[in-house]
Amino acid sequence: MSVQTPDSVLDRLWSPFETQSGSRRSLFLMSPLILFELLIFVVPFAMLVRISLSEQSQSLPYAEGTFTIASYIEVLQSGFLQGIIVYSFRLGIIATVLAVVLATFYAYATWRADGLLKSALLFSVVLPLLTTLVIKTYAWVPLLAPNGTANNLLLAVGLLSAPVQVVPNTLGVVIGQVYIVFPYAMLAIYSVLSTVEWELVEAARDLGAGRARSFVEVVLPEIIPGITVATIISFAWSVGAYSAPALLGAGSDRPFALEIQEQMLLNFNWPIATALSTIMLVLMFVSIVLIYVVLGRFGGDVSNAA
Amino acid sequence: MRLESDRLGIAAFRLGYVAIFVAMLLPLFIVIATSFSASGNLQFPPEGFSLRWYRAFFADIQWLRAFDNSFIVGIGTTVVATFMGITAAFGLEARNSRLGDLLTPVVILPLLIPPVILGVTLLVYFSALGLQSSYLGIVLAHSLWATPLVFFVMQSVFQRFDWELRDAGMDLGANPISVFVYVILPNVKNGIVVSALLAFIISLQEFVMALFLSNFQTQTIPVLAWNSLRQSLTPTVSVVSTFLVLISVAGLAAAALAVNLDFVAKRLS
Repeated sequence: MSVQTPDSVLDRLWSPFETQSGSRRSLFLMSPLILFELLIFVVPFAMLVRISLSEQSQSLPYAEGTFTIASYIEVLQSGFLQGIIVYSFRLGIIATVLAVVLATFYAYATWRADGLLKSALLFSVVLPLLTTLVIKTYAWVPLLAPNGTANNLLLAVGLLSAPVQVVPNTLGVVIGQVYIVFPYAMLAIYSVLSTVEWELVEAARDLGAGRARSFVEVVLPEIIPGITVATIISFAWSVGAYSAPALLGAGSDRPFALEIQEQMLLNFNWPIATALSTIMLVLMFVSIVLIYVVLGRFGGDVSNAA
Repeated sequence: MRLESDRLGIAAFRLGYVAIFVAMLLPLFIVIATSFSASGNLQFPPEGFSLRWYRAFFADIQWLRAFDNSFIVGIGTTVVATFMGITAAFGLEARNSRLGDLLTPVVILPLLIPPVILGVTLLVYFSALGLQSSYLGIVLAHSLWATPLVFFVMQSVFQRFDWELRDAGMDLGANPISVFVYVILPNVKNGIVVSALLAFIISLQEFVMALFLSNFQTQTIPVLAWNSLRQSLTPTVSVVSTFLVLISVAGLAAAALAVNLDFVAKRLS
């Protein structure tokens, strides 16, 4: 047991940053971003949690200086809000499964293509990715509405006898949401897939494995890290979906994002809005860890994905 | 027999990716087509061809102001995000520290948080600071999303840079700043152009956070488009959408020229 002087404590705290020479300079270069993340990300979230623990107020957004967990109890006990949370997760799971399956297929097709076809396939995901959510959502209205293109076409051909209400409806929400997250999922998988060697697949096929089998047994294990990232991104974004349910959904399509907006901007009930946000963040965090662990089982090392 | 099923499999495979290809681009195509509609209905195929909605757009002061707002916020975000992303990636590359291992997940995290929650959080915070509905507030919010992209693009650019060149410059007696300007910069400038373009596009297209953090005076194009969509579906929104899609196509083309599409695509996820 040696007595620690303040100096040696400081040294110890500093030592992780000091392992190599020049790391002070490195710290200096990183400091703008570190400061930014602290001030615009960490501190605001601390404040969010603090407000969620305040009393609600009639005249103000929240009662300053009070402390209570009443809003959490209210959110967790309200059947209405529980329904909203369940809806969000259900949408998240359905959209994620669809997006990741389709994205895996499309990433594989892009990986196998070359030249102009490959560029075209990549372009078809990068362009929607760089297009605003507003357009990505709104674009489906003229296409899927009861008097829209798809219905008119199917009616004219005779495949439908009456128009189908896809928009506004839950099916429309799912289509819109899959369309929104698909590019992110596809590129996450594609960037891992492009490091896989095609010779491996050829070898498996030479040894008699069919297309499906060579994909499942050779390619799939290699791209689990990409699939994990794709799943996590799609899930996080679909649980938090805002624009697709708002524009393509019916009145019953109500995820938590819409509720938070209403509580925040219309009812000015900040404790409820922030408590619901915090609860959703915790639930999403737990789910993401779960996804990470479960998918990690299949593919081993996920940590070098991103 | 085996050959027959093989051929069927290949045909199904092609059909599959062609279908997805069409599904990805068709909505954007329809939006652009409806912007030329002669009627007030949002229909595809459009009824007749006219530029009346384009004229309506350029006659509307509200849309023009939103355009200005989008550019102010976009340029601001590009400057802030590019500066922070490049310095941090450079600092990280120079020495792989444990701090960097800690910084990376923190930088990614905002991308995984639903934008509505980010919007609420920053609205609460900016209200306390008196920054609500200000350009600065929206720029900082957008930087939360744009900086990680710049950071990762620049990280992989710096990784490919031959650091012995820098050491050679140092050995020859150049100071660190001129080494950066004359040795490092020429080698990484394409990466900087690409990350700046991406930062700008991300800011230009983001709308949920902007919806929370802007007001009538400072609303950006996607926010105004959203608000007018919720009132009525008019082809004017298609006109605006066409402009936004064209800007992305132009930015993407520039980025693809500077590096290549494959590189850009892999950095976007």
